Amino acid sequence: MTDVPADPPGDLPEAADRRLAGGAFTSGLTVPDFAACLQMGLEPVGFVQGYCVMQWQWYGMGMTMGGYGPQFGGTPRGYAETWQCPHGFVSAEHRAWGQNYEQTWVEEAWTEGFTTAYGRLVEEAAALGAHGVVGVLDTEQPLSDTGVREFRVQGTAVRVVDGDPPADGRPWTTYLAGQRLAKLIEAGFAPVAIAVAVASVRVWANCVTQYLTEGTSSMYGGTTPGAEIEQTVNAELAAREVARRRILGQLGHDSLHGADMETSQRELGEGDVEFGCTLRGNRVRRFKAFDPMPAPRPTVRLL
Amino acid sequence: MSGTVDPAGARAAAGPDPGAGPDPAVEMRAAAAALARPAPTDTARTTSDLSIDEELVLHSIGWEPVQLVTGVSIHSVPMGVWNWGQGEIAYASAAHAHSFALATERLHQQCTHAGGHGVVGVHVEWEILRHQVAVSLVGTAVRPVGATSLGADPVFASDLSGRDFALLHAAGWAPLGLAAGSSFVYAPRRSMTAAMQQSGQNVELTNFTEAMYAARETAMERMQRAAMTLHGTGVVEVKVTEGPMTFAHHAVGFTAYGTVVRLRDGGHRDLGATAVLPLDDPAPAFDAASLRGA
Repeated sequence: MTDVPADPPGDLPEAADRRLAGGAFTSGLTVPDFAACLQMGLEPVGFVQGYCVMQWQWYGMGMTMGGYGPQFGGTPRGYAETWQCPHGFVSAEHRAWGQNYEQTWVEEAWTEGFTTAYGRLVEEAAALGAHGVVGVLDTEQPLSDTGVREFRVQGTAVRVVDGDPPADGRPWTTYLAGQRLAKLIEAGFAPVAIAVAVASVRVWANCVTQYLTEGTSSMYGGTTPGAEIEQTVNAELAAREVARRRILGQLGHDSLHGADMETSQRELGEGDVEFGCTLRGNRVRRFKAFDPMPAPRPTVRLL
Repeated sequence: MSGTVDPAGARAAAGPDPGAGPDPAVEMRAAAAALARPAPTDTARTTSDLSIDEELVLHSIGWEPVQLVTGVSIHSVPMGVWNWGQGEIAYASAAHAHSFALATERLHQQCTHAGGHGVVGVHVEWEILRHQVAVSLVGTAVRPVGATSLGADPVFASDLSGRDFALLHAAGWAPLGLAAGSSFVYAPRRSMTAAMQQSGQNVELTNFTEAMYAARETAMERMQRAAMTLHGTGVVEVKVTEGPMTFAHHAVGFTAYGTVVRLRDGGHRDLGATAVLPLDDPAPAFDAASLRGA
């Protein structure tokens, strides 16, 4: 998902070109991280950033305004699961069936915003002749109107003194910097890229899920009061699994280190909910045989 | 006492000489050279939410991360159970217990599927709402380096960090699993007479104190019973939450969880911790500028 397009867009503003051509380097590193980078033979060449402001039609408007899910004739892509009513009666207010489905259009919108911002960061780094970008920080936030989000990715471009440039000319990236990066390298891992994946799963509750969520299942039967809310659980598990599989798809034969799994939940109605899962971490590649350190010596600090 | 990574002893043969460690600049150039070559196609991929320190310390005791694993469960709490009553709110306590058990079972399943022998650094989160109790667990499945089959012991889950797991391991103890206990109790109503007598006075509200004690004793007992079910000898790193429910102030809850441990066959091993006296200046305990309200 964070893979940069083969042909970068080449849309650096003219002012950025001038700035990057300037003499002094800039860096977002703390002084200890800066010192650690110098010790590793990493020379900062510039503070690089990528931005992308996206308007998402779906955001904040509920599902039906932004795209139609399988319920409305859309083609299900990715995870989808249907839940039937066990009661056997039909009424206008009774939810005779429900569905969980992956909101691929949400995931694609997020991916487009993030990938564009990330691509611009890498483009700036490449323009500086950097070999990599350390201390990457990525954030996203709503901007002004409903449905507008800003993606921001920034970091410090570095060059490996007397080191080889990356194979394809694209600088490597990592969330790590300074001491942690030094330890990663010493452990035999080379940073390849930051890896990020998102998943979005919508629950359109059936009657049982609705009643269990509202605590009214004992009135209608069909399920045990106090039972597990299976439809909701399956949706949350699916969101996590989709994000995990998507990350694995990015890794190839590399590994993900220092992962962070964030989940979110947005209530949309009686039992209806949208689960989001963002999984990010450092894609790393083993470059030397493993050489474990001896078991650490326990100490007692006399403070 | 803490286990610290000793950079001076970074390689067994190198001894304590700080100059004997690898040159970080050389290592960095080697890493850059590896990235300049085509990506390998014969290495196994792993995912982990451990920090690099945790991963290094795990490797030092012969364990490695395998896969990021997760477990979730949400149970319904029927309408009306938080209304005024007496004794324990059984539905809420059961919802919590069942959610924790099912989330743990799913975590174990994912760990087993990934070939892990246990899960470390489990982040435990739960939410208690009026009509739902949700439990979420996320951690990293680990196994002895190079293990290709499941261990003889059942899969364990532990909220201990990689560092604490290594320290426990070095001391001859083994984590067996997570144990949790919870109890939600009604604080009984005061009688009209008692309420009037206590009005405007500084007085202990014994109904709430007693409800808190009742919830605590029941929850702690349940956690201990869960530990004994796992054949553990104790629970470490116990975390507790307690207090009234935000949506029902007349109900109090107490939850507790921790990692069940047992001494391995070899018995407890003395870690032989070394006392160290750091020579860096501590932060000043008193700042004269504070007298001026700065």
